[in-house]
Amino acid sequence: MKLTAAALLGLATLAAPALAQDLPDLAGKEVVVVTENAYPPLQFLDKSGAAVGWEYDAMAEIAKRLNITVKYENTSWDAMIPAVAEGQYDIGMTGITIKDERKEKVDFSEPYMRSEMLMIARGDETRFTDAASFAAIPELLISAQPGTSPFYAAVYNILDGNEENARIIKFETFGAGLEALKAGDVDLTLSDSTAANGYVAASNGALKIVGEPLASEDFGFIFPKGSELVAPVNAAIASMKADGTLDALNQKWFVDYKMGE
Amino acid sequence: MAPNAEPEKDFPWWLVILAVTGLWLLYEMLSDEVYASALRVLSKGLVVTLAVAVVAYLGACGIGLGLAVMGMSKRIVLRQAARLYIEVMRGVPIIVLLLYVAFVLVPGVVAGVNAVAGEDILRTRDVPLLWRAVLALMLAYSAFLAEIFRAGLQAVDKGQIEAAMALGLNGWQRFRFVRFPQAFRLILPPLGNDFVAMVKDSSLVAVLGITDVAQLAKVTAAGNFRYFETYNVAAFLYLVMTIGLSLLLRRFEARMRSRGRDAS
Repeated sequence: MKLTAAALLGLATLAAPALAQDLPDLAGKEVVVVTENAYPPLQFLDKSGAAVGWEYDAMAEIAKRLNITVKYENTSWDAMIPAVAEGQYDIGMTGITIKDERKEKVDFSEPYMRSEMLMIARGDETRFTDAASFAAIPELLISAQPGTSPFYAAVYNILDGNEENARIIKFETFGAGLEALKAGDVDLTLSDSTAANGYVAASNGALKIVGEPLASEDFGFIFPKGSELVAPVNAAIASMKADGTLDALNQKWFVDYKMGE
Repeated sequence: MAPNAEPEKDFPWWLVILAVTGLWLLYEMLSDEVYASALRVLSKGLVVTLAVAVVAYLGACGIGLGLAVMGMSKRIVLRQAARLYIEVMRGVPIIVLLLYVAFVLVPGVVAGVNAVAGEDILRTRDVPLLWRAVLALMLAYSAFLAEIFRAGLQAVDKGQIEAAMALGLNGWQRFRFVRFPQAFRLILPPLGNDFVAMVKDSSLVAVLGITDVAQLAKVTAAGNFRYFETYNVAAFLYLVMTIGLSLLLRRFEARMRSRGRDAS
């Protein structure tokens, strides 16, 4: 107990300089940041086709504070972790959940966002109202992308912990799983709060959120193993948390910005 | 009821139906804001889609022709090497090949180059994912094209080659002036079909995030939450390319055929 307290105190003293706007100056170093633009409102294409979003704003602010020059590249989610792990890019940003097994391949920044998993059902759904009542009716089906956080939430937080459970209908993309929900092929799908609210708002009542949030997860940027950028970026994130910059971004993209309008 | 002996003489009603559907979509794209913005963004991927398909196809033709010639070599080593390559590449799905080339083959080659050079002269990031995707498509299609070339070259009448030998043409001249031109006319239709297939299969490069029509569709739908409209536009763009190409190819084949008749 004493040891933990001492460690915390140690961490606090370490973190203190970062809060004092005492951030490292990386002298204009070029940093290649990769993203997919497929995860609104973190990064997406707006109506004019321009790439915008919470993460772009956050990365621009980090670049300003650390004096780095950011160059953006695009790749798909499927290729992102391997590409960053092998050093193709310096930083990956696409709302990546911090997970221990991913830490074996890449380094993570400190979390910059916490997201909750929400359950999305058709607007006229009356057979269930939460995870337990969904699980209790065997004929109800859920769509998920294998290997993603919503898939594991479906397996472990809603169903019986069997990844081969026949009630999970697997789809390659989130969009396909969502269309299957609308079409009646499945009865439930999961997404994090950021996207779930966007889809429900754009559906004109065809979709609704049911039940309580299932699990929360933290998002971090990813770096190749041993990257020298991890510490400076963490310092920048800490300073942006401390001075309210991240809260302002949350307000801008999750509250004020209206997707698809 | 006897089967229709000449279905190709039918009036192309399918084309009429497609054209009408296409015109309706075009009208939607001009009048509906969701369609219009999807078209604006997705059409930016057309150049990438076509460039990937053309470059990968030309490369695959080169490798495929080489493999076909190797497969008919006097040396068993060359024949079996070509066979091994063709069987492996034909047996692996393109999407697996794409990820394999991008994240195993290319990093391995880069590491090998650096080991040989004794210093880090090349970084994996110096090989863009776009080129890795093109390379993967090229390798995959070269195996299919090799089989087409082989069939074409083998179909040329032996008497033609014997006659060319009797005329004193050497091996290269026999290939260049007698065997290949006749084989080419035979294999033009399957070659054309494979190019159209390549335009479609180029959409697989989206898995590496190459911003072709398919990737832009994925990204656009994720942003506007309108999958149906966005993928309608993507299907429209692909159909314009593939059916346009098919019609062009048929014309070209018909011309080749009539020229072949005139010559004989």
